Amino acid sequence: MIKLDYRDARPIYVQIKEGIKALLVSGALAPGERLPSVRELATQLTINPNTIARAYRELTNEGFLYSVPGRGSFAVPEEDTAKLKKQELFRSFDKAAKDLTDVGVGTDELIDRLRTKEGSK
Amino acid sequence: MIRAENVVKTFDDFTALDGLNIHVPEGAVYGLVGPNGAGKSTIIRNITGIYRPDSGSILVDGRSVYENPAVKAEIGYIPDDQYFFVQAGIRDMMRWYRSIYPSFDMDRYKKLGEVFRLDEKRPMRKLSKGMQKQAAFWLALCLRPKVLILDEPVDGLDPVMRRQVWSLVLGDVAENGTTVLVSSHNLRELEDVCDHVGIIHKGKTVLERSLSELQENVVKVQAVFPDGTELPEDLRILHKSVSGRLETLIIRGGLEEIRTRIEALEPVFYDLLPLTLEEIYIYEMGGEEYAAKDILL
Repeated sequence: MIKLDYRDARPIYVQIKEGIKALLVSGALAPGERLPSVRELATQLTINPNTIARAYRELTNEGFLYSVPGRGSFAVPEEDTAKLKKQELFRSFDKAAKDLTDVGVGTDELIDRLRTKEGSK
Repeated sequence: MIRAENVVKTFDDFTALDGLNIHVPEGAVYGLVGPNGAGKSTIIRNITGIYRPDSGSILVDGRSVYENPAVKAEIGYIPDDQYFFVQAGIRDMMRWYRSIYPSFDMDRYKKLGEVFRLDEKRPMRKLSKGMQKQAAFWLALCLRPKVLILDEPVDGLDPVMRRQVWSLVLGDVAENGTTVLVSSHNLRELEDVCDHVGIIHKGKTVLERSLSELQENVVKVQAVFPDGTELPEDLRILHKSVSGRLETLIIRGGLEEIRTRIEALEPVFYDLLPLTLEEIYIYEMGGEEYAAKDILL
């Protein structure tokens, strides 16, 4: 379910966090669905359990997951995921916009593109 | 869980350990790394109570290990050079382990038989090196040890088996809070399985930290600065290399702090990258004047 890229220099817990966020945004992880336990994920990915616990803890603090003591971690319900999905997508949008600006694409050109996109729908 | 303070161990006039410190918290997986001959196996043999340190103290779960069977019964140990009795098969070794370790779990032994699929009757000495390692894991995991000490444990194991044994070990860590001390040269692998790292060199501890702390305090910056840019002197640069206009800097500090400082220099282009454990090791050891030499043969 979660893929780790061994050539990726980002710390493992960051990769796990991003992986779970991606699953939530794409809908592969349904709202309210139970996540694998720390032990399951640790043995499946052969990753340190404390690292996984940390990723879960941070995702809980950021509002992507909620935990029920003794039962595990769950994806937040639908109304909350919609908001987070939007946040995540805007983040990738901002990054793409910045990269485009860096290579010299002007704001007007970006706006034009958005307009034509909408028009072509 | 494991506390080694100022451990000194000499063999004749050779000082193998020169005031080494190691602190492994309970439930941690601690990776012990260092160049060949740094003293990794020596400190492990001191911690397992095989050697007696000349000075310094070693406590496991608050108790001294040397000549203390009660503590040793809670330690599982896979040495780099294994010893098996002549003609003894895995089943014979199992019986011997069972008679020595009160915690030996026979159900587990049977279950793990399906994982390892080794011939239990074949003499251990006739098994391949990799199979002997598998057998060692099979037996060690049956002890349900509180502390598991592994010296170059996955050397000789095939990729599938490496995953298999790490998966079993990490399952124990998650389930029972087993403390693991592992020495290895495979930094890529340690990065996944460890949460603490100790780097030793010439019998001394160079650095000991949690892996996340380590990775969050060094950043690699690749940037092109406008001509004539002077880098501020208080930027803690560990390493610098230049290729054309592109500068690669290894800087000590947090990601966001360094981002702000680099942006203030108005670079033409920049990229911040986290460092892998392997890179951290190479730069730290470079500081200790243990670096690969560029020689042409």
